[in-house]
Amino acid sequence: MDLKSFMEYERKSLEKMKKYQLPNWFKKIGIGIILISIVAFFVNKFSIEDIDIKLISKYGILVGLLLISISKEKIEDELITSLRMQSYTFSFIAGVIITLLTNPIFNFIANFISQRQGENFQEVGDWEILWILLSVQVFYFEFLKRMNK
Amino acid sequence: MKNRLKIERAILNLTQDELAKKIGVSRQTISSIEKNRYVPSTVLALKLSLLFEKPINDFFELEDSEISILHKLDKKTD
Repeated sequence: MDLKSFMEYERKSLEKMKKYQLPNWFKKIGIGIILISIVAFFVNKFSIEDIDIKLISKYGILVGLLLISISKEKIEDELITSLRMQSYTFSFIAGVIITLLTNPIFNFIANFISQRQGENFQEVGDWEILWILLSVQVFYFEFLKRMNK
Repeated sequence: MKNRLKIERAILNLTQDELAKKIGVSRQTISSIEKNRYVPSTVLALKLSLLFEKPINDFFELEDSEISILHKLDKKTD
């Protein structure tokens, strides 16, 4: 294998990673969707109390986080790809640990405060798990980028 | 892995930003390599080699600990 074909092979393998990513401007759309969803969530909480709006705003936050998560950086190079992979790994591990620990710890504290034993409070649902995974990934990725400046 | 990227860059009188643009990466990547926080891919190392007109071994070098592991492996195979 000569030098050029070797470089081409490695470049193509890096390009494969970028296929599922969206252009950088989707990040702004993601932030916009999150802000609108948060505003809708609070307006709903303190005035209208419509269950549909609550549900839409909760899933809006997830869609916004997903758009931020899969949007490319302005310069998407191999360091960014490596940091992105690190952040996905970290968020997966953190997500599993937080999900496993949240219920017992939350229940223990709640039982301790209420002085009632054996009562189970609300469990971690699908929205909470997805929110943990996506928000940990987005914030840890930003943290890694700042650390590497 | 140790590197002499900063020195090689100084020889060519290039800033981090200029070098980054020449090889198609961000300034952040050059800074991370120089500070030994990131080990570049073979493609990037070969691009740097073409730019500096020097073999990769001239500006990337294994740490002593990494070399000693290789010596230990050699002894085992003997």
